[in-house]
Amino acid sequence: MRTILALGGGGFTAQPGDPALDELVLQLAGSPVPRILFLPTASGDPQEQIARFHAAFGDRPCEPEVLSLFRLADVRRPLRDIVLSQDVVYVGGGSMRNLLAIWQVHGLDRLLRDAWERGVVLAGLSAGAMCWFQGGVTTSAGAPQPTPGLGFLPGSLSVHADGQPSRRPVYLRAVCAGTLAPGWLVDDGVGLLFRDMELERVVSARPRARASRVDVVEGATVVTAIEPDLIAPAPRGVSADVRELRAMRYGSPRD
Amino acid sequence: MAFGGGGFSMDAGNPLLDDYVLRLTGVQRPKVCFVPTASGDADHYIVRFYRTFAALGCEPSHLSLFRRDRTAATGDPAEHLLAQDLVYVGGGSVVSLLGTWRAHGIDLALAEAWRRGVVLCGLSAGSLCWFAEAVTAFHGAPRRVEGLGLLPHSNCVHYDGEPARRQEYRRFVRDGMCAGYAADDGAALHFVGTELHRAVASRPGKRGWHVARRGERVVERRLATVDLGAPVALAA
Repeated sequence: MRTILALGGGGFTAQPGDPALDELVLQLAGSPVPRILFLPTASGDPQEQIARFHAAFGDRPCEPEVLSLFRLADVRRPLRDIVLSQDVVYVGGGSMRNLLAIWQVHGLDRLLRDAWERGVVLAGLSAGAMCWFQGGVTTSAGAPQPTPGLGFLPGSLSVHADGQPSRRPVYLRAVCAGTLAPGWLVDDGVGLLFRDMELERVVSARPRARASRVDVVEGATVVTAIEPDLIAPAPRGVSADVRELRAMRYGSPRD
Repeated sequence: MAFGGGGFSMDAGNPLLDDYVLRLTGVQRPKVCFVPTASGDADHYIVRFYRTFAALGCEPSHLSLFRRDRTAATGDPAEHLLAQDLVYVGGGSVVSLLGTWRAHGIDLALAEAWRRGVVLCGLSAGSLCWFAEAVTAFHGAPRRVEGLGLLPHSNCVHYDGEPARRQEYRRFVRDGMCAGYAADDGAALHFVGTELHRAVASRPGKRGWHVARRGERVVERRLATVDLGAPVALAA
């Protein structure tokens, strides 16, 4: 089965993070120790995001790996092997326009479609969530504007509905005008879980976060609120030796 | 001005290539825009650019294509580029660089800036990008990549630093890649229009090369290279 988890924002790259979402991502993989690949392409592969990924997943039962398309000099395996050998591919936020342009020149778009069709779970937030849809609203050029995505999933997505409210009117106008297909508006901390083409579940790691469905009925946009299932992280502790190893590898945590 | 390597990002403390390219602008206090796209707009790289160029008597700025929503500067990146005296392109992945530029129309803006006389320079990926064809060895074996084509030649960088690149470049030219120019780390190729004006170097022994096919053979010719560090011969 093909699976995509599209997050409106938040997650481990934001502070304070949403550990319940990280947990859900690993659960979806359906493997006791899933291999999870982080793609920080949309932000230009910054060390800070990579360190946060390791901090979020480094002491969970998984095999975390990072693919940095800006540092391929250090990469020995072919990209195809790296992508298709994963259980989960997690795409970070940033510039959606850059993300898609860079993926295209490296052939990542085709590899990710193959991975998805073979059952690799695709997850991502912000630009890394909108990219799977037919389109979204990007601030890649400054002001929010509609932009096409990869179109694995039908419909469109607009993210950060609570944190960046200037996206909302742009999104509603684009859907009404037909520039974007009908779709969803989601807050930070909210995830849309798709199995094949169907929206199976809407979850939230934050109590007041919301999602909405946006349709056009007789020429008018209709916004319908969706109540997400609130998910909470299981309590967990980080052992002293894991903390020490992480400090050695990635330095002490900083803001 | 295509650097095989060197300048502030590879050869801190040796300002000869950066000084040379600043003088090419012919302006007392040149406006210099750093374009760090090939590194993914790496913060440490941008900071090093400002540290270096703020001390060199110019008006530095940078163009970030990953954080356009958060960059106070510029507005329209094309306008900003056209207003510069020098555009300085950093190193990194030339494939990612070209893909990102095309998505933002920066390829067209730079071609226009070049036609209007803005000096363009860069090292490594920032050199390869100006040519019709180039050799990238950023991931795995060296391979051919098409650049912006402002210069109708091929290009290879780090010519003395990475023997595999040199071998592959010669093989590509033998197999049909257009003739072109290579530069050692610390050497740079100065083009006026589409023709090579001169090769210069920031260190003795570093040079530029011309590589072309003659029949079935590849002929590699050392270019007379001006050592920018050599004391100028005094007139008798």
